[in-house]
Amino acid sequence: MASEQNERFVERLMESIANNDLPKAGMAPNSLKARIYSALVRQQAQTGPIESLTRSHARGHELCVFEQLVRISPVGEAAKSLNICRICHARVLAEHMDNPPIYWPGCPYVEFKKP
Amino acid sequence: MHSLGQPVPDEHQGLGAIAIEDSQLAAAVLAKDRKATAEFVARYTDAVYDYIHARLAPRHDQVEDLVQEVFLSSWENLERYRGTGPLGAWVMGIARHKVEDYYRGRLRAPESIDDPDYISAVPVATPEIHEFLEQAELRKKTWEVLEQLTEPYRLALIWRYWDKASAREMAQKTGKTEKAIERLLARAREEFRGRWSYGQ
Repeated sequence: MASEQNERFVERLMESIANNDLPKAGMAPNSLKARIYSALVRQQAQTGPIESLTRSHARGHELCVFEQLVRISPVGEAAKSLNICRICHARVLAEHMDNPPIYWPGCPYVEFKKP
Repeated sequence: MHSLGQPVPDEHQGLGAIAIEDSQLAAAVLAKDRKATAEFVARYTDAVYDYIHARLAPRHDQVEDLVQEVFLSSWENLERYRGTGPLGAWVMGIARHKVEDYYRGRLRAPESIDDPDYISAVPVATPEIHEFLEQAELRKKTWEVLEQLTEPYRLALIWRYWDKASAREMAQKTGKTEKAIERLLARAREEFRGRWSYGQ
């Protein structure tokens, strides 16, 4: 009997917060988004080259200044399929700071800063 | 789907420039399009984070790791996404599974459940004073009490009452008997009620 009362009591209270008042975390930290993006691209690269910057550009994507440099360089498509963010300071800053001092367009890590 | 060797159609729109259909986004991520991958992360991380943050409260130290696992698992399973529903809902389904895995892992620990000598240190009273509290206060206090519970008790109650898992389901997923889960839930409720009463 007491156990049934407890069950109803707890059930009612738990459902009241489940339906009405779950704590809102708000937006995920920008640094988390940066780390997730880095981890995803790293994992994609483990099973073969990622899409080349030539194709990315052809798709209409905006490339960052460093990606543009690689895209127009006289190197093969294999080099243009490398994950150059891996060696970029923007990535390092974005993975560790929620408001990193990076501003140039076309960089995914800069995009994560936008609300 | 656009694979690496295929020519890119002229009419292709920039992923960063316009909102694209979910199935196109999934296809582009599968094609290892780095910009589409960034769009995928930007679109869904807030929702996944919010969901996991609430489920693990107040143990927020695990939230970011679990959110990252959701995205890595989404990438590993993205080929199974058929485009019949929103991609966001599909990702949230993976988040639910990850949270369940977390509950399962925490409740599987022998000391979490098999504790027949458990005696609540908190005195149990039987007041119904909550009837006099305003709804907002009631919810606030519910949160406070929930946060005071030990993790196995808190997770068991969340799993049972928010995610509507039956004792049988919980037993199957944790490898425990249904009786053990019912005992765990009974002790969790007793502890919850005791703390509730104690704080009044």
